Amino acid sequence: MIRSRLWSTGAVALAVASLWFASTARVVDAQDAASASPSAKADVAHGKELFDLCSYCHGPDGLGKPELGAPQIAGMPEWYLLNQLKSFRSGIRGMHPDDEAALRMRPMALTLDRPGDVESVAAYVSSLPKRKSEGSLPNGNAAQGQAFFATCMACHGAKAEGNQALNAPPLTHLGDWYIAAQLQKFRAGIRGASPTDTNGMLMRPMALSLPSEQAVLDVAAYIGSLAE
Amino acid sequence: MIESHLPAVSTYAKDIDSLILLIGVLVGFWFFVCQGMFFWLMFKFRAREGHRTTYVTGEEKELARWVHIPHYLVLVCDLFIIVGAVRVWYDVKQNLPEPDATVRVIGQQWAWTFVQPGPDGQLDTPDDIRTVDNLHIEVGKTYHYKLESKDVLHNFSVPVFRLKQDAVPGRVITGWFEATRTGEFDIQCAEICGIGHGIMKGRIKIQSPEEHSAWMAQNSTPAIATASAE
Repeated sequence: MIRSRLWSTGAVALAVASLWFASTARVVDAQDAASASPSAKADVAHGKELFDLCSYCHGPDGLGKPELGAPQIAGMPEWYLLNQLKSFRSGIRGMHPDDEAALRMRPMALTLDRPGDVESVAAYVSSLPKRKSEGSLPNGNAAQGQAFFATCMACHGAKAEGNQALNAPPLTHLGDWYIAAQLQKFRAGIRGASPTDTNGMLMRPMALSLPSEQAVLDVAAYIGSLAE
Repeated sequence: MIESHLPAVSTYAKDIDSLILLIGVLVGFWFFVCQGMFFWLMFKFRAREGHRTTYVTGEEKELARWVHIPHYLVLVCDLFIIVGAVRVWYDVKQNLPEPDATVRVIGQQWAWTFVQPGPDGQLDTPDDIRTVDNLHIEVGKTYHYKLESKDVLHNFSVPVFRLKQDAVPGRVITGWFEATRTGEFDIQCAEICGIGHGIMKGRIKIQSPEEHSAWMAQNSTPAIATASAE
């Protein structure tokens, strides 16, 4: 009796161990597959589950939390979100010692390590409704900024609606504070100075063409005012 | 014994292992003695036909001995632990040997940034080398670290060094280490610091003098050295 119980306990333990090994093997296979297939299929429902981690900083609706340096991402185009997540994962963004917000973001992006994770979360975030945010730059003069925006129009469009062909994202709903912060980072070489950041290298001289810090605030205020 | 599971790669790692082993053996010994005693007493005084339970107050001398003698023996063991612990504490935390180099270690949610002196050997000069997530050091050199935090409490933990030190916002905490062999090992945060605490990790790359010189030469421009990403 005791012997048969021992055997059955052993068999159960063996079965549990086998299942564990099998599940571990699936994880390893999945990680290998993730690096092998760059365009895995997006699953919006899975993206919603994954977004739970993002919501701590970007908010439950993806509307952003300026106090954490997390911009509104709801409703941003899928291609842009994919590009950014991949840039964070590869270290093109989030590896500069002075880019504190991006340093927070990079480990989060690295948690999306199964095939389809990045695509799924991008698809879900893109499906969220965006919202016009209130202006947060009291020292920014949108009327003055309109003149400076002429440079930006070539890539980002006349109404800052973005242009996928040029990898130029829409800017209107990111938040004027975020636009100003990124322009300051491009100007300081915190973004766009690495040779691996080809898009950033295009953006940096544009940011440097702004004549002053006041111009940065003005153009950011103008871009924020374009949101509908 | 502990080293067979986790390499000991700093000059004081083995002292800490020995202390943990000493505590483990002494506490383990008393644990098993107590458990054995309990089970033996439970068996000896189990319910039996015709035996009435005796009420024991423990005030009689011959009964009180069962408490007093082990108590004094445990205190003697405590003395060994205290002496060992104070010696290790002094060597690791109180003693600060002369450094060959100093690195600044900065924690933030959820990354480690390291600042090393460039060719001039001085920290906080233009030729400093800044890296994210990866700390490059030379084997056999004594390093001081200046630990800071930009936001919340963190803990700079290098398991192979047996090193853990809290990083407190607003303070610069100085400590030291000396690596005893080359290799690449984990750095982690050992203080809950937010949603990304569990993924706040880095790597320490302990290099030979030649490798370290080559790395310094490669990165000693004002440009920022950044580690490869994935």
